[in-house]
Amino acid sequence: MKGYFGEFGGQYVPETLLPALEELEAAFAEACLDKKFQEEFDSYMKDYVGRPTPLTYAKRLSNHIGMNIWLKREDLNHTGAHKINNAIGQILLARRMGKNRIIAETGAGQHGVATATACALFGIECIVYMGSEDIKRQHVNVERMRLLGADVIPVTTGSATLKDAVSEAIRDWVTNVDNTYYLLGSAVGPHPYPIMVRHFQSIIGAEARQQILEEKGRLPDVIIACVGGGSNAIGMFSAFLDDPVELIGVEAYGRGDSENAASIAFGLPGVLHGAKSYLLQDKDGQILSTHSIAPGLDYPGVGPEHSWLASTGRVSYKLVDDRQALVAFFLLTRLEGIMPALESSHAIAYLDKYGQTHKGHTVIVNLSGRGDKDLHTVLGSDL
Amino acid sequence: MISEAIKNTPRAIIPYITAGLPSLDETGEIISVLSSLGAAAIEIGIPFSDPMADGPVIQKASKMAIDAGFSLDDFFYHLNGWCASIHTPIIVMSYINPIMRRGIYKTMDRLKACGVSGLIVPDLPSDPRDIFDKANAIGLDLIRLVAPTTRTDRTRQILDQCMGFVYAVSVKGVTGTREHIPEGLRQQIKHIKSMTNLPVCVGFGVSKKGHVDDILTFADGVIVGSYLVEKIIGSPNPADAISTAFLSLIE
Repeated sequence: MKGYFGEFGGQYVPETLLPALEELEAAFAEACLDKKFQEEFDSYMKDYVGRPTPLTYAKRLSNHIGMNIWLKREDLNHTGAHKINNAIGQILLARRMGKNRIIAETGAGQHGVATATACALFGIECIVYMGSEDIKRQHVNVERMRLLGADVIPVTTGSATLKDAVSEAIRDWVTNVDNTYYLLGSAVGPHPYPIMVRHFQSIIGAEARQQILEEKGRLPDVIIACVGGGSNAIGMFSAFLDDPVELIGVEAYGRGDSENAASIAFGLPGVLHGAKSYLLQDKDGQILSTHSIAPGLDYPGVGPEHSWLASTGRVSYKLVDDRQALVAFFLLTRLEGIMPALESSHAIAYLDKYGQTHKGHTVIVNLSGRGDKDLHTVLGSDL
Repeated sequence: MISEAIKNTPRAIIPYITAGLPSLDETGEIISVLSSLGAAAIEIGIPFSDPMADGPVIQKASKMAIDAGFSLDDFFYHLNGWCASIHTPIIVMSYINPIMRRGIYKTMDRLKACGVSGLIVPDLPSDPRDIFDKANAIGLDLIRLVAPTTRTDRTRQILDQCMGFVYAVSVKGVTGTREHIPEGLRQQIKHIKSMTNLPVCVGFGVSKKGHVDDILTFADGVIVGSYLVEKIIGSPNPADAISTAFLSLIE
């Protein structure tokens, strides 16, 4: 069925938004067939974002773990994370559609910063919804967005985190649907967002695949990426789905069984924000509040394609808790001189366990963002 | 049954209330008051943690009800009694996740068994044929929403899979009280009515007697939610508060 990955995905939205989704779907399909659009996207990726990002061999980390570890350096993108790939892609689409007002949600603030950056670049009005809890713990990104000219609106409803920011962005969109483009930052939400976000993020996997083949003349044994909504992971995985490469998504195990953000491990299928996917919910279908030290992973749902990839077994999803992520943050900082975002630290952290049984294997880890934004959290930790 | 009730009520107002606000016992009292005051039907909302189609009032009401310990089991337990105690048709409104959690068909059967007449789901899948077929088979009216942005071909599709009445959304936006009813609403309703024999009722933003008067000159009924729910929130005597508010609309 259209817009579904197996039983997951779909369009579960207020009727008011359905025509807007159809318009978006048509515009996106048209853009995909337009060579000029692709060229425009590629040129911004190269000259503005700084792509291709390097694939760095992490020598000291490799020695430490006992594997051959390559890092896909999305942290080196302009604005410091993979989010800019999607923000530029979608803003080019919004311009094509004649929309002059951009709204976005943000958790860690990375997608908000990327969107505010793209809006500054094109001179478009930008409104970013952000949970008031996230505003507190990611203050630097809030200041960055404001400097870039975005209007950051605190969301105080619900748990005042990413899920509530998404709900509020949807409410804005329903109200201002005529002139507004909703620039969703993860591979979640109603169709066509999951495939659109994957499309713009697939540049990560396409580059990494080519780079490892050039460097090593062979594919890696395994790829590891962190999964919140799952946009960096799906962008990376998309190039390797048909290859004999093990794919691992790492979910945030937070403080343990009762306080985490691991929707695939602990959730059940349900509908939130317009799509059916694994969802952390109680017995009555109320959405549970989540916890992760990494705000970008602190979301009760996950992209529908990940739910499908989990159900088919093509990708395995593993758990890393707050403390393990922090340890990995320090490890990569000291061994490689690279400070990873706490989100990406989850992917790094899983190497420790995986490496014990896979000595000598070649792995690519998607280093989705840099950790400057997390210094406050890291320095405040007891490690 | 719902469509007859609307047609047979000269001033057809459908009040919306949030279940469990402030408690399920008081919801029962409110329902009985609204029924005795001549509501055409009563819409009862299952509170949801993430109501993306709702404005601040219903968001707050939902949170209060959940924080006060709302549970689906208690709700169904009370629902039986509510439906049995009044002749006014009861319509249940729920976001899809709470009714999907224990199986959507099973939940629909359960609603029907309680005596519920209709079901409204603001985030139905874009093609809800299976759900419509089930509703049709068990005789539970699946009430569909038509928005100001809905194009004619889609409206026709919706009307083919709509029972009870057509819920015409008055504005682009979320639920909540508003100063004015939008221009063009009359035309929008006329357009929908030209395509269906079902009653067409207007909801979202209806918040004063003047709105009700105006809308009833061209629509078959109105749904009033946030305006009434606001009166319940924080009132020491919700049944009295809603009685006064509802009377001011219906007189």
